[in-house]
Amino acid sequence: MISWLRHQKHALTAALNRLGTQPVSTLLTALAMGVAISLPSGLYLGLVNLSQVAGQLPAQPEISIFLDARISDAQKQAIGARLKQSDIAEAHFVPKDKALAMLSASQDLSDITAGLTQNPLPDAWVVQPHGTSREELARVAGELGKLPGVAETHLDSQWAERLQAILAIGRAGVWLLAGLFAIALIAISGNAIRAQVLARRDEILVSRLIGATDRYIRRPFLYLGALQGLFGGLAAIGVLAIAGGYLRVPVAHLADLYGSSFHLIRPTAIEVVSVLGLTAGFGWIGAWLSVTRALRQVEGTH
Amino acid sequence: MISFSQVTKRFPGGHEALSGVSFSVEQGELVFLTGHSGAGKSTLLKLIAAIERPTSGVVSVSGQNVGRLSRLAVPYLRRNIGLVFQDHKLLFDRSVIENVVLPLDIAGIDRRESLKRARAVIDKVGLLPREKANPVSLSGGEQQRVCIARALVSRPALLLADEPTGNLDAGYAADIMSMFRDFHQVGTTLLIATHDERAISALGGRTLHLNQGKIVEAAA
Repeated sequence: MISWLRHQKHALTAALNRLGTQPVSTLLTALAMGVAISLPSGLYLGLVNLSQVAGQLPAQPEISIFLDARISDAQKQAIGARLKQSDIAEAHFVPKDKALAMLSASQDLSDITAGLTQNPLPDAWVVQPHGTSREELARVAGELGKLPGVAETHLDSQWAERLQAILAIGRAGVWLLAGLFAIALIAISGNAIRAQVLARRDEILVSRLIGATDRYIRRPFLYLGALQGLFGGLAAIGVLAIAGGYLRVPVAHLADLYGSSFHLIRPTAIEVVSVLGLTAGFGWIGAWLSVTRALRQVEGTH
Repeated sequence: MISFSQVTKRFPGGHEALSGVSFSVEQGELVFLTGHSGAGKSTLLKLIAAIERPTSGVVSVSGQNVGRLSRLAVPYLRRNIGLVFQDHKLLFDRSVIENVVLPLDIAGIDRRESLKRARAVIDKVGLLPREKANPVSLSGGEQQRVCIARALVSRPALLLADEPTGNLDAGYAADIMSMFRDFHQVGTTLLIATHDERAISALGGRTLHLNQGKIVEAAA
């Protein structure tokens, strides 16, 4: 156990020394890894922020009820009574004259409404149901649509559903991208370690001759891969921090224009640690693959 | 300690380096292995350290069948054997003491204890003033002494030397050989491949003569 710890310490110091003696190539590898990892993690952060935007928008969906032009007064009253029931949070009536006036007030459409000889708009109710689940909304809308005198109902939650669907695609994209870049990370690490193994061929051969196990030989390279991955992760977080700083002002400006207090969310400590852990892990895997392969090649050359 | 029984080593391509070699070396013995180059001396030493495997026959070291040793067991066999190479096989990216301490690092021995032992053995080969030097700055004879220090630092019971004085002039060669005699006197088993006739007559001991892969034993 003590000698195991000693071996770990020895391998870690050796790995740190090797990184320290080649600062430029260490830096370049870390940068390559950092840029690669910053893409999926940046996309992830972007989605987290978008989800927050979606959460801040009025979540309360509305149902618009358009009434038939030939509706009777009794039917109107029946609809009004139905809208006082407990599953309706709020309902207000929009008479067709008011709807036309609102339309005329909006600049772009005043030309069109001015040319109209009669009002083509129906009377309408705008209703906010209590329940916001998709099933509940559909049920209320369906029920209201069947009332006599109702020409059409329009459930105004489609945009929210579409946004959620887009976010879901984005999340799937994050994982896909993360998977691809994990492979890239393994390849970058493996390549860097392969160069290290070749540069240390003599050391490996001599160590073998004087009784080194494969594990002993492999260990410093594994630490090297993990450290290199860790530096890559740090570089990625640096890239994201710079990008975040660069985007902060324009995002705040845009939020201001919408009258929102929205600001960019930073990654949480857990997310940062996960990124570092994963990059170190993938660096380790790349190193293992590379050094195991290289050891097998060195094998035949005694 | 070492026993060969009908050992044949044939390399891919058909060259037979050793054919039906049988001999044994007792613990504490000093044995010279002679023969012109290509007679199979290096191959014989490599078979003992499991660097090569016999094509047929049994090579046994301290009762272990070396030819059948699993890949995982080979490092532990080598830790009990000191190897001295004609070309030294030193690492030029580190100092003399770091070269010598390597086998102890590999064995997982406490660093401070390792350095103490390394320093003691470097002293024994007379290079203590140069312990911090890079081996590349040493002469051939000094490099060979570093190689010997590295072979001895883990106190192996068996020392194998392949042409240890092959590249050295007579003065250095005599130094090295007298060092071997000292180790022999403290009980180390030595098997030295050489064609340095003067050294053999100076040290005494048994001689195994190899000729075209066959052994011709001659008492010295």
